[in-house]
Amino acid sequence: MSHPSEVHQGNGGDRAGGGRKVRHLEVVPATKEGRPLGRMLATRWGILGATIAALGMFLYSIRLPWWHFWLFAPQYPRKGLELVVSLTGVSGDVAEVNEINHYIGMKHLEDAAVFERQIAFGAIVALGVIVLVLTLAEGKRFAALSATIAAGLPLGFVADSWWWLRRFGHELDAHAAVKIKAFTPQMFGGGKIGQFETFATPETGFYLAAGAVLILAIASYVRSRVCASCAKAATCGAVCTSLFVGPGAGLAGPGSTPPKET
Amino acid sequence: MNTRLAVRALAGIALVIGTVVAAACAPQKPKGADLGASQSIKSLMEKRGLSEADVEAALKTYVPGGKYDDYMIFASGGQSGQVLVMGVPSMRLLKVIGVFTPEPWQGYGYGGDSTAVIDGAGQSGHKITWADVHHPNLSESKGDYDGQYLFVNDKANARVAVVDLADFNTKQIVVNPLVSSDHGGAFVTPDTDYVIETSQYPAPLGREYVPIDQYKDKYRGLAMFWKFDRKKGRIDPAQSWAIELPPYTQDLADAGKLGSDGWAFINSFNTEMAVGGTLEGKPPIESGASQNDMDYLHVINWKAAEKLVAEGKTTTIKGFRVLSMQTAAENGVLTLIGEPKSPHGCDVTPDGKDVIVGGKLDTHATVYNFDKIKALIDAKKYDGKDVYGIPILSFKESIRGQVEIGLGPLHTVFDDKGMAYTSVFLDSAVAKWDYKNLKLIEKLPVHYNIGHIMAAEGDTVSPDGHYVVAMNKMSIDRFTGVGPLYPQNFQLIDTDGDKMRILSDTPIGIGEPHYSQMIKIDKLKPLKMYPVGTNIYQGGIDPNATVAGKERIDRSKPGVVDVYMTAIRSHFTPDRIEVEEGDVVNLHITSLEQAEDQTHGFTINMYNVDLSLEPGKHENVTFKADLPGVYPMYCTEFCSALHLEMAGYVLVRPKGTPAPGASGSASGSASAAPSAAPNASAPKK
Repeated sequence: MSHPSEVHQGNGGDRAGGGRKVRHLEVVPATKEGRPLGRMLATRWGILGATIAALGMFLYSIRLPWWHFWLFAPQYPRKGLELVVSLTGVSGDVAEVNEINHYIGMKHLEDAAVFERQIAFGAIVALGVIVLVLTLAEGKRFAALSATIAAGLPLGFVADSWWWLRRFGHELDAHAAVKIKAFTPQMFGGGKIGQFETFATPETGFYLAAGAVLILAIASYVRSRVCASCAKAATCGAVCTSLFVGPGAGLAGPGSTPPKET
Repeated sequence: MNTRLAVRALAGIALVIGTVVAAACAPQKPKGADLGASQSIKSLMEKRGLSEADVEAALKTYVPGGKYDDYMIFASGGQSGQVLVMGVPSMRLLKVIGVFTPEPWQGYGYGGDSTAVIDGAGQSGHKITWADVHHPNLSESKGDYDGQYLFVNDKANARVAVVDLADFNTKQIVVNPLVSSDHGGAFVTPDTDYVIETSQYPAPLGREYVPIDQYKDKYRGLAMFWKFDRKKGRIDPAQSWAIELPPYTQDLADAGKLGSDGWAFINSFNTEMAVGGTLEGKPPIESGASQNDMDYLHVINWKAAEKLVAEGKTTTIKGFRVLSMQTAAENGVLTLIGEPKSPHGCDVTPDGKDVIVGGKLDTHATVYNFDKIKALIDAKKYDGKDVYGIPILSFKESIRGQVEIGLGPLHTVFDDKGMAYTSVFLDSAVAKWDYKNLKLIEKLPVHYNIGHIMAAEGDTVSPDGHYVVAMNKMSIDRFTGVGPLYPQNFQLIDTDGDKMRILSDTPIGIGEPHYSQMIKIDKLKPLKMYPVGTNIYQGGIDPNATVAGKERIDRSKPGVVDVYMTAIRSHFTPDRIEVEEGDVVNLHITSLEQAEDQTHGFTINMYNVDLSLEPGKHENVTFKADLPGVYPMYCTEFCSALHLEMAGYVLVRPKGTPAPGASGSASGSASAAPSAAPNASAPKK
């Protein structure tokens, strides 16, 4: 076990580095003055709070639109046609887009990602549990794991949506009235199909989820700094028993228990 | 959600503006771009022979595509039996609403649900499919147009129609079985409690035969008070009632407003009770009816009448409660006042204080004052009684004054500045006069023989001003020739300046419009489409409406084939209907469309079936397949690129012939390439 004083480092230099950086943590034994202890507590609860907030954002994003498609054609002069995609479904001018799509033999939009939409809520809850457990338990080696897994939600959404777009654009009914070459509708920015100008862009739900991932990434970074300066860093394995769970993780935080004799 | 696009658009606009500003600031261009423009306009004016006034009028009335008119006109379509909808100031025709006459574009009266409206509008078992459409009147709330309904009367057959302005469709035609013609209609009371319809040519009430020598005793006029049920959007004949009137030829009517609310005014002519008899050497009605110097303005206290009706002081004729003129006269409900020879027009001023009456053979507009009339009636101060015992008020004591405005003043409308505009028939002019100070201001020649006149919300409690429309009976030299039947002429008049100015002439080539009304466009809230399956006559979703995937042919009743059908681009489902000769075929067609302006039509060869299927609309059609054969059915609107392919067949096989397939639809021919599933629209779940 290294001496606590060894991790008492970088105080001056980092502070000089400016407040905009994530503060280099000082893992010092709890003192009677309680100042380092307070900082420790703030860090710990900060990480937990950020994680819970991020998971809350994930959950809330279910209620928000994730992606927005516009289709503009002369026949729709007021506002074109709109499709608003969320994790659980698609809304907007669905009937009319289906109606137009039937000419080229495209499937109904409701037939896309049925499974994904059904499991969306459960998947987010499961993801939340995993991220939360990891946050509580992950050791130095896996400090970035929770954020990486969480990133799977927005990235997975984009990948899955693209896959469905591609599939719809490629599995056209051979008996359709209008025969067109297989295509993948644009997922980002502008495109053109027939007389339609299309435009696609992420929506608030996606941005909220991406923000949640960013928050988790920051939390992970902070976490990694904690680990780097942890008294148990040398022996730390897959599971951290100091920060949140384990015998050493009392109220005072890591490093607070051993030096009782001081 | 469109913020991002908006930001992009704004950025784009900013860029364009920036470029334009930069270009404008560039010094090399000499001043003269403006001059160039005006010179090109000048040469255009020269080329087309236009004066500056013409150009100004054009600028005042031109409405570019995508921009909307400020006002909408609902004009009588005259003999066409229809109502015309036009924009102001462009005067462009926006729609012809089928009212009393079948209208094929709207599928009005060609087999669909609307057929019941027209079929139920006959008189005495006779189907009548034309009308002499006279006076469209918009529904009012507190004396102001509310943009919800339009009422219009048919003079020829004494009928009143209700047009719903949610979808601009005729929803009801009520038939007056008591009289044979009407004129004073379809004027509304200030809250549209009643739609007033007064008879024109006296006849025995209830339309029975009575020899004409009993004219004085048995022929009568009548004022019908049709009760309007605003919640249902329909006239309720059971709650309606009428007042018997003397056989003077009642003409125009108007309801009192504000202070005179609860009263109605009807003018009349032929108080001589001339009945013609030209073959017997008697004077024609035209001269017989023009002998007296005075005819009678009828003053009706309809609120008092309503009470008497509620008290049961009526007799019932053909199911309608009628208040006799004796009861009406005795109870102060009906009073007469003299009015100058052959009066016409009967218009209550916006403040409700005066009633203005013109005279076809007079030179004055006479201004009756309601307070004076009321005081005389309250004091029971009568000049005498007519032959029927109806009290007559003193003409002199009832009027506020007369204004000499020209030969043959007819109708009067109002603006927001206290000005009255009266059509002057024989002078072919519009007279602008100050009705408060009884002073003629100006006269403007119009072309020609102006009948009715109309101003922007000009018969409400708050006229708008700006525009007056002269509705001229003749156009003579105003338009290029189209044969001996000339179009009528609507002239739009600008009343904003010191002098009235004609802005445009608009030919009306469908009938002789009588009255019209002009409403501010923002008071109208028309639907863009219907919820899928809507029966527009019954309201709500039709019980026979079908959704995608549930289309079917039901043959469970012998001799009856019910087809539950949908229409959506570009197919009908089902598209083949096999029936047996003699079958009664009920088509229940639902448009599944929910895109704006995506209308389908529907017709079947030979069966005179023609429908308009606006988005979401449901129609029920019944026809008897009485002749074996193959009848194509198709969509009659160019709905889509594959519109021509939106077709199918009704196959009527001879009686007793076995059906070709178990399901009743012919199987596809073996040689044909495997075609797409017939239900291409059905969801593939």
